[in-house]
Amino acid sequence: MVNKIGYDMEETQETDTTTLISDINDIAIQDPVVSKSVTENEPVPSSSEQGSSYEILFDQLKEKNKHIFVLSTAGKPIYTRFGNENQMASLFGLMIALVSVTQDSNDTLQSICCGQTRIVFLNKDPLILVGVSQSSEPYDQIKKQLTYVYNNIISTLTLTQLKKIFHNRTNFDLRRLMSGSERLIDKLITFTENDPGFLLDSISCLQMPSSSRDKITQTILTQCSKIKNLVFGLLIAQKHVISIVRMKKYSLHVSDIHLILNLINSTESFKTAESWTPICLPTFDSSGYMHAHISYLAEDCQACLVLLTIDHNLFFTLSDAKRKITEKMRCNDCLHAINEAIIRQPISLARANITGLRHLLYKNKNRSQHWCPPFTSPYNTDELQQNLMSVYCSLISQINFPGRTLKVIFQQLTAETMLAWATEDVELYMTFEPLVSKECATNAVTKLTQWMKKEEDSLFIFNIPMF
Amino acid sequence: MATRKKVLLKVIILGDSSVGKTSLMNQYVNKKFTNQYKATIGADFLTKEVMVDDRIVTMQVSKPAPGPNPLCASIWDTAGQERFQSLGVAFYRGADCCVLVFDVTSPGSFKSLDGWRDEFLIQASPSDPDHFPFVVLGNKVDLDNRAVSTKRAQQWCQSKNGLPYFETSAKEAVNVEQAFKTIARNALAQESDVELYNEFPDQIKLDGGSSDNRSSGGDNCAC
Repeated sequence: MVNKIGYDMEETQETDTTTLISDINDIAIQDPVVSKSVTENEPVPSSSEQGSSYEILFDQLKEKNKHIFVLSTAGKPIYTRFGNENQMASLFGLMIALVSVTQDSNDTLQSICCGQTRIVFLNKDPLILVGVSQSSEPYDQIKKQLTYVYNNIISTLTLTQLKKIFHNRTNFDLRRLMSGSERLIDKLITFTENDPGFLLDSISCLQMPSSSRDKITQTILTQCSKIKNLVFGLLIAQKHVISIVRMKKYSLHVSDIHLILNLINSTESFKTAESWTPICLPTFDSSGYMHAHISYLAEDCQACLVLLTIDHNLFFTLSDAKRKITEKMRCNDCLHAINEAIIRQPISLARANITGLRHLLYKNKNRSQHWCPPFTSPYNTDELQQNLMSVYCSLISQINFPGRTLKVIFQQLTAETMLAWATEDVELYMTFEPLVSKECATNAVTKLTQWMKKEEDSLFIFNIPMF
Repeated sequence: MATRKKVLLKVIILGDSSVGKTSLMNQYVNKKFTNQYKATIGADFLTKEVMVDDRIVTMQVSKPAPGPNPLCASIWDTAGQERFQSLGVAFYRGADCCVLVFDVTSPGSFKSLDGWRDEFLIQASPSDPDHFPFVVLGNKVDLDNRAVSTKRAQQWCQSKNGLPYFETSAKEAVNVEQAFKTIARNALAQESDVELYNEFPDQIKLDGGSSDNRSSGGDNCAC
């Protein structure tokens, strides 16, 4: 397979670098017709089998809406979301050439747009991440996804280690050290596509009465506060956080929690054995590992306890603490309360009883926590839910656009009416039936705010004690 | 370990215009040759999987357009290709092997080898330049009007720490397979010569949350 930057041409022909760039772009990703005609015009490398394998690869790539590629600054492939990175070695070569050409003129390549397709480059020396999206996602969104993938790589290797490796050997094939973690990246990308927590920079909490949550938190705190060098404790049920405790002066960043959630929800083996794993939390400290004691509370309670320490000799201490926590929780009925909360249907929006309101996202900005009620009719299919998430995504990026102080957005779309409402403490994104009026929508905000006052104790975690 | 067998090698092909770099690549990958000459603008990329000893190796071969001859820059500066000469340092960085090609019927292209070698070492700045694997190919041995003798080429290779030398014909597929096999093997030696990075980094120091990242109350802290 031969990929061309630019094209073959008679030596005398005039051309310029701009066309070079736009053609690279066409040939690489966007337009098979252009690449075909270019191939036909070049006698030297065009052989039918070469053209066809080239086209087959790009046809396959074009079937997917979103691609993520990771390569080293030497242009060696590290990760691709779809397909076999070995077969795409030329494509990776092309990417590094694009980055390199731009760097050579003291510039940085950030993104290339062609029609509906957007190609975003994130240069995190010694890695380069490339995202290709055909679903007109905003640039910031794709860049954030790439940053998440980068953070996930840091979480397995640490930044110190990564830099050291490539400092010693620029030609290092990082796949050697990444084996096994590709799966985590796959899952993380899916998370960034589906989870409102990623859009809102927030976490979702397991709904439970605040009295039960306090009791659970207190039980964990009592054990953890005695242990030197223990920094964080988290209790998690599936995608939701039940409780957090932390060492004085330290806090967990949302994106680090997302990485932890992804690790736990992507690893079945944690369910069967208590585990001790090094994990770097890039936002907390990208230079070194935290050590995580990860275990599910009990056979009959599928909540996962994560205890994070800086001390790699602490396994037995933490194992002991976990045992005590479970015992205590069994005695004081906490296990039962967790099970009930997991089994219980999440609060449906119908309980708020607001006419015309179909769905919403509610973010408590001070806590970086959100509530996303279950999707109900008419959002019955994955596709419809995905579409609604794209609408939310666009509203969220408008409300949070840097330097802009937009507080309210009212949008009447063909299938729904949207209202985005931002205050100092809350971001609210509501989906109404198509013909709901502005007045009706703003009344709904008042009504919902009143209702939330009663419910927020169970929806959010307000008590995050320190030790 | 399965991944131990998966290796990707970055190979760069350099040499004057029209010495047959594209043809060599094309012969190697597609077993095809054409006499028609077209200059490469920008760069070509090629991927080929080969077995070297017991390992499956993917070769990522890049051939930047030659641009001005580094030795005789004044001549080439007029050709209009100079705008494409530079793909930037990053293009060369982390290469595992560099293939230098000249045309045995063109003494000028042979003289340029020094320049291409230096150019590569400057751009790629490998950690051990004296032992970086270059492979030298004297192409077009099928032609009658030979102007660079085997002995002369071998002497030059010898003077550069004994670089492997092959005389090839992209047109008649002479030695092309063997040359690339050597390229893969030499590159692999360079790549696999790596200590394992398994030592643990230092323990994180808790400095009382003085660093910005760790202090509470910042944006997006869940606490």
